Amino acid sequence: MTSLTWRYHTLIQALLSRGPLKEEEFHEVFIGVSGKNPVRHQKVFNEALLRINNALAYVQFELRACRNQYDGKVYYGVVNNVADEQSKLGTKYSAPQIAFYKGVIDAIINDVGLEGAISNIDALNVRLENQIVLGQASQDSTAKLPTAFKLFNMSQKEKTLQELIKDRWLCQTSSDKIGLGIRSFFDLRGWFRTNEVPSCDVCNEAGVKASVCPKEGCPVRIHDYCLKEKFSKRTGTGASCSGCGTEWPLPEYESEEIDENNTTSPDESQIASANPVLRDLRNAKTEKFDSSQDASQRKRRRICKPEPAEMVEAPRRGRPRARKA
Amino acid sequence: MEEEYSQLDISIQEKDKLVAEVIRYVLFKTHQSSGCPIRREELTQIVTKNYHQRSLPSLVINEAREKLSSIFGFDMKELNRMRPSSNRPAARASQQSNADAKSYVIISKLPADQYTKYVENKEASHLTGFAFVVIGIIHLAGGKLSEENIWHQLKKLGISESDERNPIFGNCKQTLDMLVQQRYLQKEKVTGPEGNIVMYELAERALDESISAELKKYISQVWDNEEIKLLFNLHTVLFQSLKYLY
Repeated sequence: MTSLTWRYHTLIQALLSRGPLKEEEFHEVFIGVSGKNPVRHQKVFNEALLRINNALAYVQFELRACRNQYDGKVYYGVVNNVADEQSKLGTKYSAPQIAFYKGVIDAIINDVGLEGAISNIDALNVRLENQIVLGQASQDSTAKLPTAFKLFNMSQKEKTLQELIKDRWLCQTSSDKIGLGIRSFFDLRGWFRTNEVPSCDVCNEAGVKASVCPKEGCPVRIHDYCLKEKFSKRTGTGASCSGCGTEWPLPEYESEEIDENNTTSPDESQIASANPVLRDLRNAKTEKFDSSQDASQRKRRRICKPEPAEMVEAPRRGRPRARKA
Repeated sequence: MEEEYSQLDISIQEKDKLVAEVIRYVLFKTHQSSGCPIRREELTQIVTKNYHQRSLPSLVINEAREKLSSIFGFDMKELNRMRPSSNRPAARASQQSNADAKSYVIISKLPADQYTKYVENKEASHLTGFAFVVIGIIHLAGGKLSEENIWHQLKKLGISESDERNPIFGNCKQTLDMLVQQRYLQKEKVTGPEGNIVMYELAERALDESISAELKKYISQVWDNEEIKLLFNLHTVLFQSLKYLY
């Protein structure tokens, strides 16, 4: 096993301490420790990541890239690949809070419109009972609910929601809805597969926020940024569905940055697939972080989590709110 | 190293698995507890749960320490749990490192400027700042200060004991208690002439050489500033610090 130098340690520690970093931010650190810009020195960059992953494999961690599906931006993070006794410790959230998170995730995944987001109200109305460990009798399940769960009221849900957004497990989308945070995209890869969330036809990652084929009944879905990347480069030929051939209208993309980013963002699979051992590791062991057997969420930040300071009030633009006690 | 393990009738794979478990425990627990020291017993338990060879826990913990250093650049520092000074028996006895009192924290080995520039989570700087100020105040007071006095000083910074919704710290009392859990401070009830008072004293983590050197440097910089001297109405503290620094 290789011993890493301070340059690699800085990269790893930065991600552990600050959480997932945007590509530019991670590149900044890389330039700082190596003097080389990953954009112009892709080989050096990829080799460095490979070296890091060879070392991290010892403890079943991995440094990889992941896309925020709402804006298509690439992030880098260190993730845990195995749900075991130790990783179950790695969360500051309580059992009801984790059940709440899982409920919100479920609701987001099942969002029919494939916006990958649900309204604030829907999030707050998530019921914890549905997240209780499998194996309990479905009838009379309320009676078997632990006290902590029963006492988890609306204001606690609100507070938890804000905390989850702050910690980036959930996010507030541009249309003021609740979506998956970047940490969830990193951690839930395996969970998406287990729960058969349909993948994007282009990149094969779960299509949480994606466009569906305009033809009714055709299951193909593609991320907006994947659509743009695949079809915008072609002049003349329009976009068409790879499954049924129907013409596919390109989405109105909010930021035009995605075209510039195409040249810089590395192929996510490149990092791991270069090393067949890692590839096997990822496929075999990417179980979902919050496995259904045991509610847990793993985050790795070395420094204290700040106390809930500024509670970001979701702007309520005159929306009627049905408040349940 | 391998010979030692082979003598213990454990395969390399099993050993590697144990070492990885210990490392993972240290990393996840540190995150969950926001950096509170981890007792050695917690680590030995990981090994003794399934293996009963006597010397195995030490070997595994040592290797975990090495790997935390070589893979992550973390120094797994050993701390000996101190007892409050009024409880301590004769100086000799307290210096015996009792295996039960050993605990560990992980510290980055990166140089400070590097750490600040690339690694530090700026969102948590308010907590680091708070820790620095509190440790500094107690340091200047000679290493020990009453609870009342601490809050008196913190009030000047706008932090009050009863404030549970401080815009920066949330629950201020909890923020101070966190420093006790992280073993920067220790708390003790002392029976005084006016009844029971709570004393805060510097604990093993704050007394570490690296920290006290930085503190002294910083305090002397602050104290060089005439305007600050005038602003700060800390008569007794000034007296104490003069004794302390010169």
